[in-house]
Amino acid sequence: MAKNRIKNNHGISSKLSTPIMLSVILVLVGYFIWWLNIPFVQDIYTSAAITLVMVLGFQIFNGNSGILSWSYVGFVGIGAFSSAIFSMTPQMKSMQMPEMYPFLVNIHVPFVVALILGAIVAAIIAAVVAWPMMKISDDAGAITQFALLIVIHVILAQWSKVTNGPRTFTLGGQTLTTIWVAMISGVVVLFIAYFFKESSLGLKLRATRDDRYAACSSGIDMVKTRYLSYIFSAAIGGFAGGLYSHYILSINASAFYMTLLFNLLSMAVIGGKMSVSGAFFGTILLTLARQGLRQIEPVLTNMGVNASGSTEIIVAVLMIVFLVFRANGIMDRYELSPSSLKSLFSRKKKAEKKSA
Amino acid sequence: MENKSFLEVKSICKSFGSLKAVNDVSMRIETGEILGLIGPNGSGKSTFINLITAMLKKDSGSVMLDGVDLSSMPAHKVPKNGLARTYQTVRLFKNLTCRENLIIGAIGVGISQKEANKIADELLEEMGLAEKADSFVENLTFSEQRFLEISRALACKPKFVLLDEPAAGLNEEETQHMLDLLKELPAKKHIGILIVDHDMHLIMTLCDKLHVLNYGQTIAEGKPEVVRANPEVVKAYLGSTAE
Repeated sequence: MAKNRIKNNHGISSKLSTPIMLSVILVLVGYFIWWLNIPFVQDIYTSAAITLVMVLGFQIFNGNSGILSWSYVGFVGIGAFSSAIFSMTPQMKSMQMPEMYPFLVNIHVPFVVALILGAIVAAIIAAVVAWPMMKISDDAGAITQFALLIVIHVILAQWSKVTNGPRTFTLGGQTLTTIWVAMISGVVVLFIAYFFKESSLGLKLRATRDDRYAACSSGIDMVKTRYLSYIFSAAIGGFAGGLYSHYILSINASAFYMTLLFNLLSMAVIGGKMSVSGAFFGTILLTLARQGLRQIEPVLTNMGVNASGSTEIIVAVLMIVFLVFRANGIMDRYELSPSSLKSLFSRKKKAEKKSA
Repeated sequence: MENKSFLEVKSICKSFGSLKAVNDVSMRIETGEILGLIGPNGSGKSTFINLITAMLKKDSGSVMLDGVDLSSMPAHKVPKNGLARTYQTVRLFKNLTCRENLIIGAIGVGISQKEANKIADELLEEMGLAEKADSFVENLTFSEQRFLEISRALACKPKFVLLDEPAAGLNEEETQHMLDLLKELPAKKHIGILIVDHDMHLIMTLCDKLHVLNYGQTIAEGKPEVVRANPEVVKAYLGSTAE
């Protein structure tokens, strides 16, 4: 009887449908913007795609573990600086950062290798510091994360021989993170984040998020599960940081602190932090909202209203509104897929029938 | 012929300060058996359960499952060594689908994801939850949630299952349904069941043996009809409700 048959929706095709659909959107929009050939719009797209990679890396741990990982942006910073050190020519380094350790000055590898090394450096540092933190949950967990972010931030801001300290770190040369690099990275990391979530490790991490006692009595080693996931998330963060530094070309430690964290958090929360699609749509929505609001700010200022900073206020209020009325964000626990679209439409039809 | 497994609790003790919550309790259960653990509130049942699943560290004694001491390993290794449990206050993964809840049960003990998928679908079918496979837990009735939690415990292919008040909060019809299910589980899954419940009807009909605790100590054990007639049990637990 059909009633008892289980719909088999864990086949390969349906597993792929979410990242494929999201990638198609990302690529089509990217092509269109490239074709438009307006530098200002291309810049918005490129930085949005980089931000998407950051939000996805954030979602990997934050969304699936339920622990607010403040320290994530610190690892973005670590990746940003270290990949830049790896990719810059020795001449450029000795010119821009005369104080830098000689052994760092002499390293020089191709851009793509530098991005991967940036991710690896972030992962190694996460692996060294994270184990004891993974035992702590809830508020205490978030506080230790916050403390770690401060440690990373101060080191990035003060270690003159590596990061040029409080001065700006200038990469020089040309923008290596082009619109294409950003787009391809976005697509690759969409797949990575989705497959992580569906992987054995991702499932276990989500189980510890929902109920750590039940996870334990299902055989899950919570500390190990969190630890591996955290390292993985830090690696993606480091990679994203490398994309960022090779796009913006001059960085300093404050770029990887509260402002960035708030930016990523607002995207994850509003989009829906439990879902990869949520991270995706949150990034798009917030990028558009911020751009729109930024255009309005000077107009208002010209009209005699001092509106500087109002963008941040509006985004913050929006986040509060979401947390109050739809705490799990736009996408909640759902992913974009043919079956979720179908059920959305059938629900709408049902609602229409009811009201009719 | 499959081999029988044995779960043997030997003189386990646990104190909280000066209170001896569990004092020198021993019991033994084998594959195919249903053992009922009863006792008044505060008699040490919950502590006992947490001790044998290693959620609490024992003071002394041991919990041997086929020669391996469960009580001295980290709690998350217990299911892999053959003992799974459920909770009195149903603990499910609320943001995961029913199928995913069961998959967790299997992959938690190292079963591959592919195999876990198969196990999950089979269990959903057996428990009559197939239709809700892709629903989130909140869309299940309370009794369906209890069945799902038991399924999750079974998904790790345990040798023994510990059920903490599986009939709590169920109405008469649902309790009967639960009873029918539990009755056939030991033979079907080749497991032993340790069950804690307040529902005397359920306990008396279901269990092959009973074990009664009071003030952390064993006051009686044996066949249900024998235990029921024990005056100390009547006094301590069954009181005037004993028929």
